[in-house]
Amino acid sequence: MAAAKTRTSSFSRNISAAAPSQGPGLKCGPNGTVFLSSGISDLDKILGGGFPLGSLVMVMEDAEAPHHMLLLRNFMSQGLVHNQPLLYASPAIDPRGFLGTLPSPAASKDEKSHKHDPDQEKGLRIAWQYKKYFGESQLNFDGQRDGKHEYSNEFDLRKPLERHFLSAQRVDCVSIQDSPNLSALQDRSATFLSQYPRNDGSISCAGRIAIQSFSAPQCAYSNMEWDMLSFIRSLKSMVRSSNAVALITFPPSLLSPSFCKRWQHMADTLLSVKAIPDEDKELSQLLTGYQDMVGFLNVHKVARINTQVPVILDATTFSIKLQKRRFLVLECLNQAPVDGSSGTSYGTSGSCSGSSKTGNLDF
Amino acid sequence: MAESICRALRDGALEGEHAPALTIKDSIASPFGFHVFCHVLSQLSSFILAGKSQSGGLVVVSFSRSPSFYLELLKNKGIDVVSSDKRIQILDCYSDPLGWKDRLIEAGNFTALSHEASNSSTANVLKDVKHMDKLYNSIVERGKGLIGGGKNRFSVAIDSVDEMSRHASTSSVAGLLSNLRSHDQVSSIFWLLHSDLHEARVAAVLEYLSSMVTSLEPLHQPANGHRGDLENLSLIEHNLKKGKFHVRIKRRNGRVRVMSEEVHIEQSGISFTSLSSEGAINQGLVPKVQFSLELSEKERIDRANVVLPFEHQGNGKPIQIYDGRRSLADSKHERQVAATEKVQTNEDSGGGEIIYFRDSDDEMPESPKASI
Repeated sequence: MAAAKTRTSSFSRNISAAAPSQGPGLKCGPNGTVFLSSGISDLDKILGGGFPLGSLVMVMEDAEAPHHMLLLRNFMSQGLVHNQPLLYASPAIDPRGFLGTLPSPAASKDEKSHKHDPDQEKGLRIAWQYKKYFGESQLNFDGQRDGKHEYSNEFDLRKPLERHFLSAQRVDCVSIQDSPNLSALQDRSATFLSQYPRNDGSISCAGRIAIQSFSAPQCAYSNMEWDMLSFIRSLKSMVRSSNAVALITFPPSLLSPSFCKRWQHMADTLLSVKAIPDEDKELSQLLTGYQDMVGFLNVHKVARINTQVPVILDATTFSIKLQKRRFLVLECLNQAPVDGSSGTSYGTSGSCSGSSKTGNLDF
Repeated sequence: MAESICRALRDGALEGEHAPALTIKDSIASPFGFHVFCHVLSQLSSFILAGKSQSGGLVVVSFSRSPSFYLELLKNKGIDVVSSDKRIQILDCYSDPLGWKDRLIEAGNFTALSHEASNSSTANVLKDVKHMDKLYNSIVERGKGLIGGGKNRFSVAIDSVDEMSRHASTSSVAGLLSNLRSHDQVSSIFWLLHSDLHEARVAAVLEYLSSMVTSLEPLHQPANGHRGDLENLSLIEHNLKKGKFHVRIKRRNGRVRVMSEEVHIEQSGISFTSLSSEGAINQGLVPKVQFSLELSEKERIDRANVVLPFEHQGNGKPIQIYDGRRSLADSKHERQVAATEKVQTNEDSGGGEIIYFRDSDDEMPESPKASI
């Protein structure tokens, strides 16, 4: 089959009507893949549904900004909310402390709007012949919203996750700072993943592995580059044969360039986060909404399992914004309209010229 | 923006956050790192002693200078350490870092020297710097001794990470620094690094671990070509007195603040002024087009030489405006003269050539105009 073209008609297949037996945390996708949510609904949309089970997601950190923590937190919280067990490894001495910073799902706005709607309906004078359509579309909309709401939650970064989600049965923490080599982490991962083997039956439960700052300099093994690479390779193969998703973040500036490339090739889905300079006049003129942005997210690779057809995204650079300092949203970059009086033409300023600071901006 | 750095160190860490950490980085081209370190040290000490800072004490881990140097330095700034030794402690890793004196005494080949007892109250000699755990414990111990327990915090200043890296591996040094940063009772921490003494990875690791990075660069890059030693020498001399001070601050919201200043070294110390010339930060955004928007020299000369086909050239000759009423002979004569003049000037210019025939010359004189 030829490469899938983007649908131009207004009809779209409703894929979200997943087999309910799989539970709210999983969604069926094309080619027999099953997705689980990354915790950020915008990112799920960009990646075509979420993270496919059996894939390895790697996030390249920026040494100057902690945005990878936002991705990690949302990923971990989403798993806990959906009752998907989690294995968390970090270079801190006490990783459990990080669990206290996980965000909680936001109070659903749908509930409020549900309450308002009947009142509004009374208030709204809708012509009688349209009321029946209005009612139906409302139902559909609600149904869809509920479905989406269940699969991917909106996380409020200022509200910590409730304690009962963090019980020991669901979350296992490992500290990787003092271990001289990676065998301990490898064993823990293996035992964790053996609980979710993949067979042809239905999926009972999916697991998540989150490894933070894998090559952090304070870890004793951080200069053993070949060992780290072989760990990633074995983790990838273990994850591929189980119903789980592994997310690894690492700082590429601390690796030698050849190993950085090798690690990037290992990933099924590769993302990177980037800091943006503060109070940068040129950038604020170039992009709309610069004030609200906290960073950039680049999508380098999207996992394609069971298919040879690659994903070509419309845009690969997104801005990370925190709405009301609580909700993480990803937006496409929008070039600000150029002031005609300044004399620069629309075509020359911006993307093609490639501001060397902002690297691979892609409109 | 050295003030903002000192303020950040003074304000310290928020609850549940890592302590702010500053890396001061310099190189041989602009070797003022130690001056900056002393400046920050004296600022922070005065904040601590005045009670304006979050931290209640300061532990100075001195590797590259003896403790008496720091006592002198602080005394010159008006801070008397001995009387206020409840606030400032110096961990001496300079006198005998590997414990050689003890071993020599044990071996019996060495008579014990009279120990300098004057500094024993403030300086505590550390004899085993190879083990970062022991160093960590000593620092934390000193700090706790300064401030007591509870919610109080202390600051740490590390003289030079270079010395630490000589004795221990990068990952253990990184472990020490990150553990100090995440310690509940550490308010802020700063260290000095000479970047050309290490591989690039060490500098990258330290930048990864810190929340503020300051680097010193020379104001004028000395030319690598053979332009004569005199010029180079004066540039180098210039660079030894002044430099550029770049700061990158990682803010809590995830953005990076980049600032630059000029730094001058004087007898009394160091002073910071704003940059005299705004650097071209926005080079990257100038549109890159296929054609060049500027004229080259040759093109400029040619442009100046082109004679434009106007009646009045603006060169002082009396202006004669053709009004179409001259007699034929005159007009022909004029035309010839004008034509030759034009041809001459055009040939002289060599570059651009504009050949112009007046529209009215094309017409036959007094011929009926062809009806259109």
